[in-house]
Amino acid sequence: MKYIVIGGSAGSFQTVSAILANLPKNYPHAVFLCLHRLKNVRGGFVEALSLKSNIPVCEPFDKDQIVPGIAYLAPANYHLYVTNDGFSLTTEEAINHSRPSIDVTFFSLANTKKNDVVGILLSGANKDGAAGIKSILDAGGKIIVQSPDECQVKTMPLAAIKLTSIDYSMNTKDIIDFLKNLKG
Amino acid sequence: MFNQEDIFLLIKAIKDNGGYDFSNYSEKSFARRVEKVLIDYRLDIYSLINRVKIDKPFLEEIIKSITVNTTELFRDPQAWQALKYRVLPRLLSKSEINIWHAGCSIGLEVYSMIILLNELGVLNKTKIYATDINSDVLKTAESGVYSYRAVSEYLNNFNSALCENPYNFDEHLVITHDQYFDINKFKDTFKVKPEFLGKVIFKKHDLVNDKNPFDIKYDLILCRNVLIYFNNSLQNKLFVDFWNYLQPNGALLLGIHESIIGPLSAKFDKKGLVYFKKL
Repeated sequence: MKYIVIGGSAGSFQTVSAILANLPKNYPHAVFLCLHRLKNVRGGFVEALSLKSNIPVCEPFDKDQIVPGIAYLAPANYHLYVTNDGFSLTTEEAINHSRPSIDVTFFSLANTKKNDVVGILLSGANKDGAAGIKSILDAGGKIIVQSPDECQVKTMPLAAIKLTSIDYSMNTKDIIDFLKNLKG
Repeated sequence: MFNQEDIFLLIKAIKDNGGYDFSNYSEKSFARRVEKVLIDYRLDIYSLINRVKIDKPFLEEIIKSITVNTTELFRDPQAWQALKYRVLPRLLSKSEINIWHAGCSIGLEVYSMIILLNELGVLNKTKIYATDINSDVLKTAESGVYSYRAVSEYLNNFNSALCENPYNFDEHLVITHDQYFDINKFKDTFKVKPEFLGKVIFKKHDLVNDKNPFDIKYDLILCRNVLIYFNNSLQNKLFVDFWNYLQPNGALLLGIHESIIGPLSAKFDKKGLVYFKKL
């Protein structure tokens, strides 16, 4: 099983939605979504993503175990850590004004799942995720950014490109193909 | 930065010199908090361990940095709506209501409760108890004085929790912030109005080591986003404690992404977001 972690912010919803719509049922890998959202729009996100998704989407509870074939959405207002004993949620301070922080989730996966991680950073208007995606690369994982030309807001992928070398810069369609062909 | 053995040594030093027991904290979150302490204090792990062994006031300070102190007004409005429409109505006819906030931090949740009880007209017959391991946050909680900048982001929660009725969309109450707070944006102050202060018994209390802090049975215990920092066995111990300290049918509210797993799950009924004690 691979651990696919996707970070996104402004302008990333459609891409995430397209990815989930195109993954096959019984997908052999686990997917983690760490997406910034408006502070006061906390409900309804799972439902919105589930509408088109081909795999189940859920917000994990603290200490839940990780199961392949599910897309786990970081709950609003918590940091999401992936540990060897499953999920760990915390209410520690926001990092760069973000909770969930993409860096936090990326770091934790890099730490625990090393070269089994695929990190993907999508459209967004800040630098969250850049340091985290570098840590995934440094731990032996593969990293992808959404091609800045395709992004509604390119700040986030550009911040990653500036900080580290990237395995692939891809548009949505190629990201989908990559994930569909990913062997575990 | 440090390895598992260093962490054991630190936990032992904290326990020997301060009596606090972190051995059943969730390993990862404890390590992360230690990392933060090392960075904040510009220390390496060995200097930290050595200083904890000999410097008690420093140890007390470190405990405050290791434990997480975030709290919000009306965090998760749907949980407050559940309290308002599903839990508290069962208690309204009692002659006295007892509520314990376990791990209350700077008290924002406690004042949320006071506001809700006042809206329901039962504040005067309710005894509110609140505890935390950190004596500094208790002082802030008791004062009811906050920074406007830090707290204003929660005012939307206040509106949804108190003014909207999820079971009747036509209902919309008007409850204004200045009924409960003296707000001064220019001085950056956000103060609980004096008539709502002094209603809470605050006490320093360590959930891990100490028993029931007030020696009574509670109708409602709130312990939200505290147990997420503990491992399963310590969580189980606390679920047993809470079960013992609750009145029959008493309610336990955890954070909305926490759940009772393990042996005690059979001794609580989960209805919506709230756990009720089964006999």
